[in-house]
Amino acid sequence: MYARAWVRVKSVYDEPLWLLVNIGFPLFTSTGMALLYRSAGLASFSGFAILGGIMMAFWGNVLWGMASQFYWDKQVGIFDIYLVSPASITAILVGMSIGGIFSTAPSAVITAILGWLLFTPPIAPSWLAVILVFTITLISLYAVGMLLSSLYLAYGREGEAVNEALSEPVTMLSGLYFPTLGSTSPFPLALQAVISLIPLTIGMDALRRTVFYSEDLGSIASSLAVLTAMTLVLIFSASRALKILEERGRKEGTLSVRLR
Amino acid sequence: MKTLRAIVASAWVGWEREIGWTNPVAGILVRTAPITAAVLTAAMVYWFGSSRVGVFSPERLAFVIVGSSLYAHVGAYAWLPTSAIAEGKWSNVFTHVYITSTSSIPYLFGRGVAAFLSSVPMAVFSLVAAYFFAQGLLGSAPAMTASPASILMLLGALIVDFPAAMGLGFILASHAIIVGKFEWALPTYIAGVLMIFSEALFPASVLPWPLSLIAEALPFTYFIRASRAALIYGSWDLYVSAMVYALPSSLVLLFLGLMVFKWGEKKGRQKGLIDRKVG
Amino acid sequence: MLRKTILQPTNMPIVETQRLRREFQAKKKVITALEDIDLQVEESVVFGLLGPNGAGKTTLIRILSTLLLPTSGKATVAGFDVAKEPEKIRPLINMASGAERAGYDFITARGNLWFFSQLYGVDSSVANRSIETLSAALRLENYLDSKLYTLSTGYRQRLTIARSLINDPRVVFLDEPTIGLDVMTAKSIREFLVSQAKDQKRTIFIATHNMAETEAICDRVAIIDSGRIVACDSPASLKKNFGAPATVMEVSPPLQSLQAISSVRGVKGATSAIDADRGVARLKLIVDDEGAVKAVGAIVESSGSKVLQSWMQEPSLEEVFISLIGRGFAERESEDAN
Ligand SMILES: Nc1ncnc2c1ncn2[C@@H]1O[C@H](COP(=O)(O)OP(=O)(O)OP(=O)(O)O)[C@@H](O)[C@H]1O
Ligand SMILES: [Mg+2]
Repeated sequence: MYARAWVRVKSVYDEPLWLLVNIGFPLFTSTGMALLYRSAGLASFSGFAILGGIMMAFWGNVLWGMASQFYWDKQVGIFDIYLVSPASITAILVGMSIGGIFSTAPSAVITAILGWLLFTPPIAPSWLAVILVFTITLISLYAVGMLLSSLYLAYGREGEAVNEALSEPVTMLSGLYFPTLGSTSPFPLALQAVISLIPLTIGMDALRRTVFYSEDLGSIASSLAVLTAMTLVLIFSASRALKILEERGRKEGTLSVRLR
Repeated sequence: MKTLRAIVASAWVGWEREIGWTNPVAGILVRTAPITAAVLTAAMVYWFGSSRVGVFSPERLAFVIVGSSLYAHVGAYAWLPTSAIAEGKWSNVFTHVYITSTSSIPYLFGRGVAAFLSSVPMAVFSLVAAYFFAQGLLGSAPAMTASPASILMLLGALIVDFPAAMGLGFILASHAIIVGKFEWALPTYIAGVLMIFSEALFPASVLPWPLSLIAEALPFTYFIRASRAALIYGSWDLYVSAMVYALPSSLVLLFLGLMVFKWGEKKGRQKGLIDRKVG
Repeated sequence: MLRKTILQPTNMPIVETQRLRREFQAKKKVITALEDIDLQVEESVVFGLLGPNGAGKTTLIRILSTLLLPTSGKATVAGFDVAKEPEKIRPLINMASGAERAGYDFITARGNLWFFSQLYGVDSSVANRSIETLSAALRLENYLDSKLYTLSTGYRQRLTIARSLINDPRVVFLDEPTIGLDVMTAKSIREFLVSQAKDQKRTIFIATHNMAETEAICDRVAIIDSGRIVACDSPASLKKNFGAPATVMEVSPPLQSLQAISSVRGVKGATSAIDADRGVARLKLIVDDEGAVKAVGAIVESSGSKVLQSWMQEPSLEEVFISLIGRGFAERESEDAN
C-alpha cells in the first residue's frame, strides 16, 4: 500500500513536466470561468471559479488517475501482479488514493495561488471549518474513485467511455463552478435532492459557504455528517465490490485475462 | 487522385472508429452528454453571475451557449491528428502509414474529415439540448433563432473553420511525434488558451489590452463570431465581416500547420521517433 | 504495373548501401547501431540479414524503408537515395515486422488490407483482386471478414505479410517474419516468400536471428554483429569458406560455466544447450586443432562431469557464425537476460 502511494508520488515529483501537464486543465478552466464571472458583471465571484478549479484537479485525478488505472494496469498485465501479491486490492487502492492526493496537491496549490494573484477574489473563510470540510470532501472523492475502480474492473473498456461521459455532467451537477444547492440554484428541488447523492455536491456547497460566507462548524455540521456517512458507505461498498470481483477473478481467471 | 483515394480510405477508417459503438444510443450519449454539460456549466455560471447583479440578458446567454458548444466542436476534432499518432504508437499503424506512397498527411486529413463529420451533428445536438435545458431551468430562453438561412450560414462557418482546426491539429501532431510521452500536455494547454482567447465564453474585450490582441488574431474567434452572427444576431453584415477574416486566416493556419508537421516528421525521422514504441 | 514505368539498368543492385552508419543518442553516450555497412542486394533474391539481438538488423530495415535517416553514408533503393528521395522509394517498397501487430483492431482483415492499398493509391478493383489472391496463397480466406482482434498470432502474421505485398512492391523488408509461429506455419510462410521472389520477381529482404530459416530460404546472407557486416555470401559458400565442422560433446551433469572451456587454446567458440529432461548438456565446439578437444574433455572431467559421447557434425550456418564471431547465439541470449 505504501509502495503504491510511493510509486505515485515519486513518479510525479521525478518528472517536473508532469506537474506542468497536470496543472493546465484546472488552471485554464478556472481562469476561463473566473473571466466569465467577471464578464457577467460579478468579478467578486471569481473565487467560486478558482475553488472549482482546485477541486477539479482532484476530481480529474480521481477519474483519470485512479478509476481507470486498474483498467490500464489490466491492459498491460500489471494487474496480474496485484492479484498474486499478498496485499489486498483495497490496500492498494488506498495507497493509490494517498499517492493521488499528494501528487495532485501541487497543481491544486498552484491553481489557488495563481487564481488568487490574478483575480484577488474577496474571501471570508472560517479556517477550521474549511480545513475540515476540505479534508472530508477529498476523502469522499477518493472513495468514489475506489468504487469506480471496481466497476471499471468489471466492465473493462466501457469504463473509459463511462469516464468520458461522466466527468462533465458531474462537474456541472455537483456545482464545481456555481451553486447548485439552495435558493440560488437554477435546479428545481427534486433535481437538487438527486444531486445531493453525489458527495462532491455537498462538499462543494459546504466549501463555498465556509470559504466565502464564513459559516462556521455549527452551521455546516449537517453537511459534514452527511458527507462522512456517504464516505463510509462508499468505502464499504467499494471494498465489498472489490472482494467479490477479486474472488471471481481468482476463480475464473477473468480479471487477469487481457482484453487484447 | 491517389491522394484523394488515401483521404477517402482514411476517412472511412476514422468513421468506423468514431461510430464503432456496440450500442449506438450509448455512443451518442457518451459523446453529447459531456459537451452539453460543459455548455450548460458555462451558461449557468453566466446566469448566476449576471442575475446577481441584475444584468442578465438572454442574448448574452445565447452568446455563451453558442460560443462554448462551437468551442467544444473544434476541440472534438482538432486533437484528432494527435490521437491518431498516439494510438499509432501502440497499434503500429502510423509507422506503416508513414512509409506508404501517400504517407501521413492525407491519412491524418482523412481521419480529420471523419471526426469533423461526426462532430457536426453532435455540436448541433448539444446546441439544441443546451437551448432547451437552459430555457427549462432558467425560465428564460436564450436569444437564438434557427432558420434555413441561419443554419446554412452556420454550416458555412463550420466548413471555413475546418482548415484552421486541422492546421492546429497538424501542429499538435508534430509535437506528438517528437515527444515520447505527454502527447496530451500541449493539446491541453492549447485547449485552455482557446477557451480564453477565442471568445468561446466572453467577448475579447474582457481581456486586458495586449492579451485581447491574441483573440483578435485567431481564426477561431472569427469563426465563432460568424456563427453568432448567424444564430443570434441574424446579421448578414456581421457574418460576412467575420468570414472575410476567418477564411484566409484559416487557410494560413492550415498551411502553417502543414509546414510545422513536415518539419516534425523530418526531426522524427532523424531521431528515429516515427516508429518509436511506447509502453 | 509500376515496374514497367521505372527504367532500371540491368545488373544494378536494387538495394545498395555505402559506408552506412547510424548512431543513437542515449543518455550521455552514443550508441553506434550500424557502422560501415556496405551491401548490395540483387533483384528477385531472398536476402537474409542474420545476426543476434541488438546487432542492428531492425535499424538497417528502418533506414531502408525510409523510417529513419542514416547518420552518414549512403543507402539507395532502386537507385533512389533514402535520405533525399524517400517519396520515390515508398511506392516501390513495403515492410512488415513479425513482432508487431500492425492494423486496426476494430476493422476486419479485409478492411485493413483495403485501407492500406488505398494509401498506395491502388485502384479498388485491383486491390480487391490482390486481396483475394494474397489471402488464398496465405490461406487467410476464412478470416478475411473477421475483426483483427479476433485473429490468432499466426493469422495476424499472415495478414501482416499480405499487407506488405498489397502494393505489389519490388522490395519487401521483413523483420523476423516468422517469430512466434509454430513450425508448420513458419514453413508455409517461408515457402510463400520464396515463391514471391521466384515467381513475382520480388526482392525479399529478411532480418532474422533464425539460422535454420536463413539456411532454408535465403539465396544470399549477410551476417551482422554489433553493427558491422562480418560476411556476405550464399549460404553454401559461407559454409565452405568459414564453416569448420563442429565437435559435439554430451556432458552430464551440465557444466556451471563455459568460461574455462572458451579460454582453452585452440577453441574458437563454444556453445552449450541443456537438455533438462535428460540432465545432459550438449557442448558444441569449434576448434582449430584436435588437441583442444582433448583439453576440453579433461576440463569437463576435472569439474566432476562426464563426457557421455562425442561426435563430429557437418557445418551449418551456426558453425559459420561461431567461427566468425567466436561465440554462438545461445550464449549471447543468456547474456542479455542478465
Ligand atoms: N532509438 C534508439 N535509441 C537508442 N538506441 C537504439 C535505438 N534504436 C536502436 N538502438 C540500439 O541500436 C542497436 C541495434 O538495435 P536493433 O534494434 O537494430 O537490433 P536488432 O538486430 O534488430 O536486434 P533484435 O534481434 O533484438 O531485434 C541496439 O544496441 C539498440 O539498443
Ligand atoms: Mg530487431
